[in-house]
Formats: sequence, structure tokens, C-alpha cells
Amino acid sequence: MSLCINRLQEERKQWRRDHPFGFIAKPHRTAQGVLDLKKWECGVPGKAKTIWEGGLFKLEVTFPDEYPTKPPKCKFTPPLFHPNVYPSGTVCLSILNEEEAWKPAITIKQILLGIQDLLDEPNPESPAQAEAYNLFKKDRVQYERRVKQVVKENPAP
Amino acid sequence: MDSDDDFMSDASSQDFLDTQGSDDESLEDFGEELDGGFSQDKDIIAHSKKPYEVDFKVLGPDDIVREQNQQVVEVSAILGLPPESAAILLRFGRWNREKLIESYMDHSERILEEAGLGTTVEFTPHTQVISGFMCDICCEDGDDIETYAMRCGHRFCVECYRHYLSQKIKEEGEAARIECPAEGCHRIVDSKSLGLLVTDDLKDRYQTLLTRTYVDDKENLKWCPAPNCEYAIDCHVKQRDLQRIVPTVECLCKHHFCFGCTLNDHQPAPCTLVNMWLKKCEDDSETANWISANTKECPRCHSTIEKNGGCNHMTCRKCKHEFCWMCMGLWSEHGTSWYNCNRYEEKSGSEARTAQARSRASLERYLHYYNRYANHEQSAKLDKDLYLKTEKKMTSLQSQSGLSWIEVQFLDTASQALQQCRQTLKWTYAFAYYLARNNLTEIFEDNQKDLELAVESLSEMFEKPVPELAKLKVDILDKTAYCNKRRVILLSDTAENLKNGEWKFNVEW
Repeated sequence: MSLCINRLQEERKQWRRDHPFGFIAKPHRTAQGVLDLKKWECGVPGKAKTIWEGGLFKLEVTFPDEYPTKPPKCKFTPPLFHPNVYPSGTVCLSILNEEEAWKPAITIKQILLGIQDLLDEPNPESPAQAEAYNLFKKDRVQYERRVKQVVKENPAP
Repeated sequence: MDSDDDFMSDASSQDFLDTQGSDDESLEDFGEELDGGFSQDKDIIAHSKKPYEVDFKVLGPDDIVREQNQQVVEVSAILGLPPESAAILLRFGRWNREKLIESYMDHSERILEEAGLGTTVEFTPHTQVISGFMCDICCEDGDDIETYAMRCGHRFCVECYRHYLSQKIKEEGEAARIECPAEGCHRIVDSKSLGLLVTDDLKDRYQTLLTRTYVDDKENLKWCPAPNCEYAIDCHVKQRDLQRIVPTVECLCKHHFCFGCTLNDHQPAPCTLVNMWLKKCEDDSETANWISANTKECPRCHSTIEKNGGCNHMTCRKCKHEFCWMCMGLWSEHGTSWYNCNRYEEKSGSEARTAQARSRASLERYLHYYNRYANHEQSAKLDKDLYLKTEKKMTSLQSQSGLSWIEVQFLDTASQALQQCRQTLKWTYAFAYYLARNNLTEIFEDNQKDLELAVESLSEMFEKPVPELAKLKVDILDKTAYCNKRRVILLSDTAENLKNGEWKFNVEW
């Protein structure tokens, strides 16, 4: 437990010192104004020169008590139109999976950059929602139109 | 005559197995070649193997560890690598020594990289205190922290490393493929590093898990599936041989199972057919059969309708479509010929009827075999009761008739024969379901009938009240011997034909 909090404090420090442009990551502040280190509000911008450019997608990152032994859970709020995002908004990504590529040394920065990469490079091997997956597989034109719509609804400031 | 037959088949099946196994083992047997040839001769002379039996060996937990270590030591000597690295390589190569050694000789660097070993090999693991270090996991820094890094150079504090390893071993049951904790680094944590970092109880657990992967990885090894059984079976029947062999093995714990699919002994039916049969019995394919035999679809909305009375004038509950049950045509076209469809002989009508008849016949055929299969299975489930009853009978027979313990053993033998024969009979029905009709099948069915009659009459004698049992002793002994003999004949016959590809089946597999 203390390992979890120590590590998160350090992550916070490092993020404030330096973080990739356009990204947001800050611990959630409760109604009483107390910082909750185990729940972060984050934002991932769409990569330049991709159909996701110009969008900023909000997600909630929740850290379990066992962090960093176990990975945090990343959830787009609201759920995002994307083949690897579950209808609940949860992201399906190998580095976020305990049984797959999660390693305790992976930082928040790496996670958010990983999710940004995933936006324009969906993994058709592990579909998480039917709608985006089917369009991505069968009708790429319609898929890109939908993505651009989503970008318009979530503009970067 | 009999023994001659056995001898012939024995030699041929031995050949068959040997040619199958030779590609993997040519090197392994190198040192024992003289020995091997010798024991083979002895084998043939010593006990005559039935055509349906396969060669196998039972390994205890210690044997498995010993085998494993022996291979590690050998490969380590051949490749000139430290044993812990050789172990990682072997696990990486799924214990296929020859292939591993060969590919290592060809491109050692690539193999080392892929196995997660990297190329710098000479290394004694030790922990280190490094000034100005910060651990990437817990973010602690300080000049007095013990740290550790494998040859990949990813350094973490010993605390975090240990925590990580214990999580992997304890919670995730992982052993052979634990990677370095750094992101994207695929270097495998070797046993020396592990030994340096974790506590003794974890080392034991690690060893158990490694043993487990060893058996899982080797194609010729399988765990006995009986609960709490720690033995493994070593058998050289390959997956591709399963079309022609049903490799039933017996563990030291007395459990009989099929080496091919680890289900309970299912001779004479081959694994694939067993699988198909179980699936057929399990899923609802027969419900669908019933539906097609007993119902029709509404010609308009295709709702399934069972006619349970009334006249031929059907009105679909769902779409209100009116049609004739006989010819499926529109009711309005029937005019006044209600209750007696005069279009009965029309082509569409007769086609529908033959389709229905066929479906009904296939359902009945299935039920014929299934009922007999299920009957024997039920009896097999009662095995335990039967056995307990036998024990009781044996004691009461001893006290009532003054027979000695050794003299009442015939009941135990009979009970065992009954169980075994029923198990075999059960699977003969699943097997027969898939057999095409021809002369061989007739012979098979005769054998089956013979065994079944014998089993039923033995079963009947066996159920008699205790006072009569003493008088029946000779009969029971005879019947028991007869049952066993018939079982051997039936199994030998099917196994031989299976090996020679003589059976014709009514399904593709």
C-alpha cells in the first residue's frame, strides 16, 4: 500500500517536472478538496497527421492497492468509439494487462503514450466493441467519418 | 494358435512405435543402444503384449526432476553454457534437445536472444549498492539501497525485485517465463538470479512449477489426471498416431486413462470419435433432431409448430397464416376438401414426408446406441457401490459358508472383470454408432453381443443372495474368465483393424 502511494507521489512529481505536449494527467480532487492519488484524470491528444488529430480524449486512470505490481485500469469517459475500447470505456491494451505485457516499471507517461499510439493503430486481434470493430473491418470510409465526428465532439483546447 | 498371433502382432506394433519415436530420440538413446536392443528382445520373450496395449512407463515426482536435471547437465556440457542458462534454453525449445542443439550451433546469438538470455554469458549474480540510484518501481533513492540487475542491465532495488518475483510465482503460478521487470525487456529471470533474491519456500514452489512445465512441454509425458495423483506417464504414442491406436495406460495409482486425450479408458473407440460422441451427447443436436422429426415450420413466418391434435387446417398463432398441415399449401386453395387433403400425393408433399422419415430413422438409430451406452455408463457409475457390496459379501460369505479369505477372492475378481467389461462395452456402442455397415462391422457386433451376454449373465449371478454364491463359485469363476477372454478378443480385433486402417466409418474424422 505504501509502495503504491510512494510511487504515485513520485510519478506526480516527475509528470510536473516534464510531460509530453498536449497530455493531461492529474490526481482527482474530491468534493472536499482532498487529492485522491489513486484516481487520476487524464487526457490523451490525437496524434498529428492522423485522423485523430485535433481531439483530446478524457480518461480515468484508477490504480489498485497492488500498484505497481498490478496495472492501473484506464477508462475513457465517455466511452470512446474505437475497436479496442470496451462499451464501458475500458481500454484493452497489452501493457495494461497483468497476464500480458504489464511490468512494474511502466510509468504513467508510457501508458498514456501507448494509448495515443493505439488510437490510430487499432489491434484487430482483440476487438472490444462490435460497432467500431465491424466498421473498421468492413467499411473504412464510414469508420473514418465516425472518428472525425468523435474528434469534433472532443476538441483539444 | 493364439500365442502365435500375439507374437506376430507384438513384433509389428513394436516396430511401428519404434519408427515413430526414432526421430526424436536418436541421440538420447545413443549411449544405451546396446542395452536397448537387448531389452527389446527380452520384452518380446518375457510378456506377450496384446495388440491393444501400448508401451509406457510411470514416473514419480523424483524421476521427473532427475530426468530434467540430467538433460540440463548434458546440454550444458554440450553447449558449454552454465546449467541455469541451459535450462532456460531447453524450456524455450520445449525440451526438444536435438532441434535446440542444432539451431544453437547454426545461429547461437539469435537463439540466445529469443530465449531471453542475451549473449554475455559468464556472470555470477550479486546484489550491489550504487550511489545516486533510484529504483524505477518504488522510486526510492538513497546511497544504501541494495540493488540487482540481470545481464540486461535493468537495475531495481532488491525489495521490488523480490516482490515482483514472489507475485509471479505465488499469484500467477509462473516459473519458466518470468521476464525482467523493465518495460519491453524479454530477458528471462534465470534460476541463479532467482535463488539469490527469493526466500526458500518460494524456491520450492518455483521448482514445482518448473517440473510442471517440464511435463506439460514434453510430448511423451502426461500427468495422470486422477485427483491428487503426482505421477506422470511416459509414452511414445504421438498425436498423429491416434487415428490408429487407442493408447490406454495405467498409472501406479491404478487409474486407467487414455494417453491421447487423458479421458478415462475408452477402448476400443479412438479419441476423435470419442470426442465427437461426447459432444453429440452433450449438446442439443438431438433436440434439433426431435424438432425436425416432430414439427413443421409455418410456410410464411417460419415459426416452429408442433401439431398436437385437431384437423389439417392450421392457423399460425404468430402470423395468422392459414395452411394445410399435409401439403403445406394455402388453405384457401383447398376449397371444400377440408379434413382430407387430396393434394397428399403431390411431389412437394412426398418430399417432405421422406425427409421426415429419414430424420426420424436417424434419431432412432442414435437413441439405440445412446441407450446402450448410457446403460453401461450408469453401471460403471455404480462401480463404487458394487465394489463396496462385494467386500461386504465376501466377509459374510466367509462367516456363513466357512470358506477362507483366499477362497472368496473370486468375488473380487468377478467384480473387477464386470467393471472393466462394462467400461469397454460402453465405448463399443459409441464406436459402433460411427461404423459403416459391412462384414467387419458384423463381426464386431457379434463379438460385442457375445461379451454383453456374458457380462449380463455374470452380473446376474453376482447379484444372487449370499447363501447361493458358494454353490455358484465354479460358475462365476468360469464366467469371469470367459468375460475377460471375450474382452481381450474384442479389443484385439478392433485394435488390429484400427491399426491396419480396415474400419469403414460413416463420418469423416
